[in-house]
Amino acid sequence: MTELDHRVQGVDHTAFPTFDPAGTVRFYRDVLGFPVVHSICAAGWGPEDHPDFIHFFFDIGNDDRIAFFYYFGLEPVHRHERGDAYAGFGPDVPEFFVRSRHLAIHVGDEDDLLEYRRRLDASSWPVEMQIKHETIESIYTHDPNGYMVEFTRAMRPVTPQEDLDANLTIDALLDVVGEGDPTFGKLLARKAELIVERAAEWELSRAGEPGR
Amino acid sequence: MTALYVLDVPENTPLAAVAAQDPAVTVGRIGPYFAITATGPIVIDRRATGCRHAVWYSSVAGVARGSRITQHDKDALRVEPV
Repeated sequence: MTELDHRVQGVDHTAFPTFDPAGTVRFYRDVLGFPVVHSICAAGWGPEDHPDFIHFFFDIGNDDRIAFFYYFGLEPVHRHERGDAYAGFGPDVPEFFVRSRHLAIHVGDEDDLLEYRRRLDASSWPVEMQIKHETIESIYTHDPNGYMVEFTRAMRPVTPQEDLDANLTIDALLDVVGEGDPTFGKLLARKAELIVERAAEWELSRAGEPGR
Repeated sequence: MTALYVLDVPENTPLAAVAAQDPAVTVGRIGPYFAITATGPIVIDRRATGCRHAVWYSSVAGVARGSRITQHDKDALRVEPV
């Protein structure tokens, strides 16, 4: 496999529509303390009947940003009770799927995690879950638009062997998906083969690196 | 032959230690993985490991062909020859 150099520098911004700009500003700026760092006031243009809109940005740390679009005169695009401002889901869609998409914001330590917990718990959007997954600890809530937001801290650094393991998992996954009719059992069997083929050599190559 | 692979990270070390208590089970290594092998079944009691659920249910890195998981629940992980 060709090694491609890795030149990107994180998230510039991720963008979501909102029908509740007042709630959105209260949540991100006034409750969480995320500065407003940019906004665009745009008159609608183009071949579509595009509404006038405001595109506004909050700093989420590290100069990364979360942004919203507010479209003047646009009514909510769906009537489902489950989901968020962007997409709604009927009763046929399982809850785990509805809850799968989220934004996780990194914090440095437990103090910072608990500080955001305090800010949220004092607001109209209290923390819904706080979970220690052993290697990470996270709090979760939904913003005024229904988007799930997580704050997470690492409880220990990621080890180099976890990067190896992740790569073996993905290679095994591509193999079993490529074969058709993928199952978890097939993945674990293929991954066992990749461990036998590659894990010992990986450790030897690391031992040979300078400074180790 | 039954073979189960578990990544050596701090959360998983109790799992390998509990597996090794069975004299019929051998715990070796392939690179950064524990290679847990036996001629018959491998049974690991979850409570003995002290592993909480998020770790317990994501602790298996690989299961060799010729072996299969027949139990992986809140009580135990059982891998048996096919």
